[in-house]
Amino acid sequence: MSQSAMKKQALSRFLILAAVLALAAFSNNPYVINLLVVCGLYALPAIGLSLLMGYTGQISLGQSAFVGVGAYGSVLLAQHLQLDPWYSLALATALSAFTAWSLGWLVFRLKGHHLAMATLAIALILHTVLVEWRSVTGGPDGISAIDPISIAGYALLDDLHFLPLAWLVCYAGLCLADYLVRSPFGLAMRTVSENEAVARSLGIDAAQVKRKVMALSGAYAGLGGALYAHWIGYISPEPFSVAFSIKLLLIVALGGVSGVWNVLFGVFIVVIVSEWLKPLGRLDVVIYGLLLIVVMIYCRQGAVAALAGLYRKLPQRLRPGARAGLKLQGRTSA
Amino acid sequence: MTEFAQYLISGLVVGCIYGLIATGFTAVYNATHIVNFAQGESSMLAALCAASLVLAGAPLLLAIAVAVVVVGLVNILVERLAIRRSGTDVTRGIIITIGVGIVLQGLAALVWGTDAQPLPAFSGPGSISAYGVVVPRQALWVLGTTAVVMALLYLFLTRSFLGKAFRACAMNGQAAALMGIPTGLMRSIGFLLSGTVGAVAGVIIAPIALMQYDSGVALGIKGFVACIIGGFGNPIGAALGGLLLGATETLAAGYISSGFKNAIAYVLLLLFLLVRPGGLLGEFGAAKR
Repeated sequence: MSQSAMKKQALSRFLILAAVLALAAFSNNPYVINLLVVCGLYALPAIGLSLLMGYTGQISLGQSAFVGVGAYGSVLLAQHLQLDPWYSLALATALSAFTAWSLGWLVFRLKGHHLAMATLAIALILHTVLVEWRSVTGGPDGISAIDPISIAGYALLDDLHFLPLAWLVCYAGLCLADYLVRSPFGLAMRTVSENEAVARSLGIDAAQVKRKVMALSGAYAGLGGALYAHWIGYISPEPFSVAFSIKLLLIVALGGVSGVWNVLFGVFIVVIVSEWLKPLGRLDVVIYGLLLIVVMIYCRQGAVAALAGLYRKLPQRLRPGARAGLKLQGRTSA
Repeated sequence: MTEFAQYLISGLVVGCIYGLIATGFTAVYNATHIVNFAQGESSMLAALCAASLVLAGAPLLLAIAVAVVVVGLVNILVERLAIRRSGTDVTRGIIITIGVGIVLQGLAALVWGTDAQPLPAFSGPGSISAYGVVVPRQALWVLGTTAVVMALLYLFLTRSFLGKAFRACAMNGQAAALMGIPTGLMRSIGFLLSGTVGAVAGVIIAPIALMQYDSGVALGIKGFVACIIGGFGNPIGAALGGLLLGATETLAAGYISSGFKNAIAYVLLLLFLLVRPGGLLGEFGAAKR
């Protein structure tokens, strides 16, 4: 895609996103607005995981740990050093990226199952530390009375006021990730994912690529966690457990790897589905697990690709814009 | 010294359980090259099943036998419905087994609720004391049952025809298939073995450690750590790793801090993965590479 086309695409996506958010904001439905903030905050760590798992092929069950590092890091820095939340946010993001980068030196000596278990162990160790190190983290009760983020002396206490910030950050994150996967570095990432031996033979330092992506993914997760902490005003170890890592895994699996923006699809599905399932009580977990299995068995390229495939199989008269699709097919086959 | 012996004994008892679960991991891994992240759920399911049956008035022995068989069958079903379709992709296999674990755990919470389900001790609640060390009677059952199960498994794998076919499949699935060994059946047998061994572990520890719907997760991870310590896919290593992990964990909990007890297993896991990923005894069938 040419650069001007890319810019046009980014702009149109920005406008669509802004229109959707504005519509939600004007509807003045607190429930919808709250859900949209949650979506924006979920999307950040999910983008990071998509870069690491989708594009670089390195499974991680430890993404929740970096979200936790970001959240607790920002809150502790703000409270102990009397920092403005903006500075603590930036510091916590850097801290999370650095933690991820250092752990990358350790865990990327491993592959496949071993990598999955090592990252799982990291997530479990962090969770244990958050629960047990009471003097610093407040133990299972967590930390409350967290300062909100403020812009020009105006505190973003409301969901409605926080919404633009969350999604602006999310949009910037998406654009950065999109740019990255199209760049030469993105090609290196995909090569590492496809075949490490080939990557090395092309002069790509596979281990370094993985570490860099891990650091970036940690930064996304940390930023998401820090924003979450200052938005909700209270943190405890519970949201940063392995269950959250698995949720992120499902988001990335649903979105697939055909584009960074598909992560948003996964986020919306997961957040909305978990809302729908809430009245079902305990049954929600079961349906959740089944969804994970079915997606993994039947939609190997992600649910977006699967839906697109289904769409192509529809009889022509049911498909708006089918002619354009036909033209496109004709061109690719020629 | 008495204190040390007490910790060591409790550690070995827990270690037996970890070792059994680790053996379950190796059975699945050898047959399918998948690490079953839902391994711990077998133990949980069996313990809860047995507890319900006893509550309904079934004799203890029958309840245990039925629970073990049921869990074995559930495992075969899981392999057929979900895992066989996952193909050879490692990431996909991991996510699918995680999904299976979530489903089983959710179903258990639906059926049994979130309260722990007690199972009576096999021969009364009392304990035996010698030289100042107190051992619950159930602990002896744990040690004895583990020894018997391990011995039977060893005999099965080395002496029986089916066991030899299973090992051949583990070493080289394609070559085994060419020799006429039905590899699909061997996959089922792997899952059956892992399910029954895990179920036995869950049933014998249930009277000591209360079991509830989410107990399987921790057991599964500890079992995996035992595998890594001993050498992945190596059944003897798995048993050894379990004992070592159990002893380390209880000693550390006793002398350092009980709160960080769980983290000790995870730190050990990281240490072994990084320093000696082959484990103490080396990976099973590593020679083939």
